[in-house]
Amino acid sequence: MPLRTLQLLLLSAWLTTTPGQAARDKPQQVQDLHYGEVLFHFYQEDYFTAISHLMVAQHQDVLQHHRDESELLLGGLQLSYGMLDQAEQQFGALLNTETKTDAELHDRVWYYLTKINYQRGKYEKAHKTLVEINDPGDKRIRAELAVLDANINMALGNNEAAAEALKEARAPEGWEEYLLINRGIAELRAGNIEQGRKTLDKLGKDRAANEELRALRDRANLGLGYELLRAGDAEQARKYLNRVRLQGPFMQSALLGAGWSDVERGDYQQALTPWLHLLKTSSHQPATHEARLAVPYAFGQLGDQARSVYYYEQAIDYFEKEQQLLESAIQTTENGTMLSLLSQAETGTSGGWLQQNPTLKGVPSGHYLVDVLSGHNFQESLKDYRDLGYLTELLNDWLDNIDIYYDMVDTRRQAYEVRAPAVRKRLENQEAIALQERWQYYRDLVTTERSEGNPLNLATGKEKQQWKTLKAAGEKLAALPDEPRYRLMKAKAQWLQGVLYWQIQADYKSRLWEIEKQLAELQTPVEESVRMHQQVETALGSIQDGFTGYDERIEALRSRILGLLPAIDAARGNASGHLQQLALDELEVRKQRLISYRNQARYALARSYDQLATGGDDQP
Amino acid sequence: MNVLFRGLLAGLLVWPLLLSAEQTKESETGVKEEVQTLKQQVLELNRDLFLLEEELLFPSNTQVSVFVSMDVGEFFQLDSVEVKIDGKQVADYLYTKRELDALIRGGVQRIHIGNLPTGEHELVALFIGKGPKGRDYKRGATTTFKKGLGPKYVELKIVDQTKNYQPEFDIKEW
Repeated sequence: MPLRTLQLLLLSAWLTTTPGQAARDKPQQVQDLHYGEVLFHFYQEDYFTAISHLMVAQHQDVLQHHRDESELLLGGLQLSYGMLDQAEQQFGALLNTETKTDAELHDRVWYYLTKINYQRGKYEKAHKTLVEINDPGDKRIRAELAVLDANINMALGNNEAAAEALKEARAPEGWEEYLLINRGIAELRAGNIEQGRKTLDKLGKDRAANEELRALRDRANLGLGYELLRAGDAEQARKYLNRVRLQGPFMQSALLGAGWSDVERGDYQQALTPWLHLLKTSSHQPATHEARLAVPYAFGQLGDQARSVYYYEQAIDYFEKEQQLLESAIQTTENGTMLSLLSQAETGTSGGWLQQNPTLKGVPSGHYLVDVLSGHNFQESLKDYRDLGYLTELLNDWLDNIDIYYDMVDTRRQAYEVRAPAVRKRLENQEAIALQERWQYYRDLVTTERSEGNPLNLATGKEKQQWKTLKAAGEKLAALPDEPRYRLMKAKAQWLQGVLYWQIQADYKSRLWEIEKQLAELQTPVEESVRMHQQVETALGSIQDGFTGYDERIEALRSRILGLLPAIDAARGNASGHLQQLALDELEVRKQRLISYRNQARYALARSYDQLATGGDDQP
Repeated sequence: MNVLFRGLLAGLLVWPLLLSAEQTKESETGVKEEVQTLKQQVLELNRDLFLLEEELLFPSNTQVSVFVSMDVGEFFQLDSVEVKIDGKQVADYLYTKRELDALIRGGVQRIHIGNLPTGEHELVALFIGKGPKGRDYKRGATTTFKKGLGPKYVELKIVDQTKNYQPEFDIKEW
C-alpha cells in the first residue's frame, strides 16, 4: 500500500468518525444524506468536489446530525487540497468553540494543527501542539501519532526521542514494516547503530508480500549497509548490501556500495565485479556515474595502469557526452518544452497525485527531465499547476452555462407574460370556489333529504315531468262535473299517480345512497381543485421571484468568474515559471556534478599517465 | 579513504530523511499562497453558482434526488444500478472500484436529481452485480413515494444481512 494511501486512510479515520466511533473498521454511519455525499467524493480523493458539496450543504443547512464533524471534515479537506492557511483557520476556530465540550474532537483538531505545522516545517510549534493530544484508544491512530511524533523529533534533531516514540508504538496490521523502518532510521540517526541494525535487520530479512514491501526491504538493507560502511564495518556492510535485489530500484546504489565495501577490506579485485556490472546498466543515476570513476581507480590500485587509463578515458568521454545531453536538456527546458510537458499533466481532475508522470516522447535527453519530475518539490508544484488548470476549466464551463441560465430566466419571464393574463382571468372567475359551492349545495340537499325524506326530490327528470303531467291532469279532472265517465278518469289518474309515486319511493333509498356516494367521490376532486386554485394563485404571485433578481445575480456571478480567470491564468504562469526554474536548478546541479566527475577523471588520468611514465610507483 | 568515497557517504547520509513519512516542508513561495487564495475564491464562487443552478434547474418544490448507499458489501459486489421513476429510466450507473470503495466506507452517491410534480410516484431500482459465492445477481426493489412541496430525497440502500448471508435491498424515504 503506498505511503500516501496509508496517510489518507489515517486522515480519513480521524476525519470521518463520530466521537466515540474513532477509526473502527465499520463504515461511517451517515445520518444526513448530504454528508454522505461529501464523504463519497472525499474517499475518492476528489477534494474540490467534496469541499464544494460541503459548502453547499452547510449553506442549505442540511447537516443537522453532522454539524461538528462537517466543520472538522472541512478543515481536513482543505488540508488535503493544499489550503493550509484556510485549514489552520478552520481548525483554530473549532478549537475556540466546539471543542470545549468534546474532548475527542479537541484531540482531533490538535492532531490536524500538528500536521499543518509539521507540513509547514514549523517543528517546534508542531511539537507543542502534539503534546495537547490525549492518548487515543484506537491502535491505528496511536501508530499514526507515534510516526508523527518521531518525524517531528527527527526534524528537531531529537533522534533518541524519535526512536523511543516508535519503540513504544504497536503497529496495526499492515503497518509493521513502515513503523520498523522509521524506528530503524531513528535509531541509526540517534547513533544507536547496534539497535538500528537489529531493527532494520529484521525488516531486511522478512519475506515481502508485494513489490512495495520488497522495495522497503531493499531500502532498509541499503541504508543499513551504508551506515555500517560509514561506521567502518565493511564486512557487515557487504552482507546487507548483498541482500538488495538486482531487479529493484536500489540496485545501482547497492552495487556501488558493495564495491566500496570490498575496497574498504582491500579487495580491489572483488570490488570490480559489482562496479563493472554497474557500468553495463544504461542508468543515468549518480551511482552509475560514480562507478565510471571507481572502476579505473580500482584498476589503478591493482597496478593495472593500462586498463585504468582506458577506463578513465572512457569515463571522460562518457561525462562529456552526458554533459552535452544535459545542456541539451537545459536548453529544451528553457525553450518551453517544459510547458508542453506540463500540458500532459492535464487530467481534468483536481487534487490528489498524478498516477503516472508525463512521458517525454521525442524530447532529447528526456530521461533527465523525467528524473526531475519525480522529485517531491516538483510534484508538489505540479499539483498546484494542475489544480489551477482544473479551476480554469471549471470556470470556463460555468461561463458557458451562465448564458444558458440567462436564456432560461428570459424564457420563464416571456412565458409568464404570455400566460399570466389568461390564468389570472380564470382565477378571477373563481371557478373552483363555484364548484365547491355547488357541491356544498347538493351536500346540504342530501342532508335535508335524510331528515325530511321526500322521495319526489330525488325523482328523475322524466319522472318529475310525468308527476307534473299527472298532477295537472288531476287538477283538470277535479274541475270537471262529477260524472261516472270523469270519475273513472279521475280514479285512473290517481292510480297512475300512485303507481308513479310508488316507483319513485321504491328507488328512493338506493337513489339517496347513490347520490351520497357520488358526492363523497366528488369531495376530493372538488377540494383538490380549490387547493390547486389557491396554489396557482400563490404561484402566480410568487412566480416573478423565478426571474426577478436573477439577472443581477447571474451578472454578479459572471463578473466574479471574469475577474478570477485572469488571476488564475497569471498564477498558472507563475507556477509554470516556478516549475521551469525547479527543473533548471536540478539540471544545473546534475551538470555541475558531471563537470566535477569529469575534472576528477581528467586529474586521475593525468596521474595515471605520470605513473605509466615513471614506472607505476606512485599511488593515485 | 579517498575523496570519492567520503563524498559518496556524505551524500547518502541524508537517505533516512527521505524515508520519513510526508516530510513536506512547504516552500514559502508566493505561488503557494496565491494558489491557496485562488482556490478559496473559486470554491466560494463555485458554491454560489451551484446554488443558482439548483434553484433554476431543480426548484425545491419539484426537486427529487435519489441516493445510493451500501454497508460492508460482503455479500454483494455492486456493478451497476438502474433507476426508473414512473416507468421512465432516469439513471443507469456503472461503478468503478474507486466509487465502490467510497460507498463501502460510508459514502453516499447522488445517482439522480430531477423534477417531479407533487403527488404519488413509483420508483423501481434494479441492482446488478455479484452475489454470494460470486454468482451473477440481479435484484429489483420498488416503492411508491409521495412528492410534497419540499425537496424529496429517496435512498436506495444495499445492506448485508448476516442472518441469511444475503444482501438486502431497501428503499428509504427521507
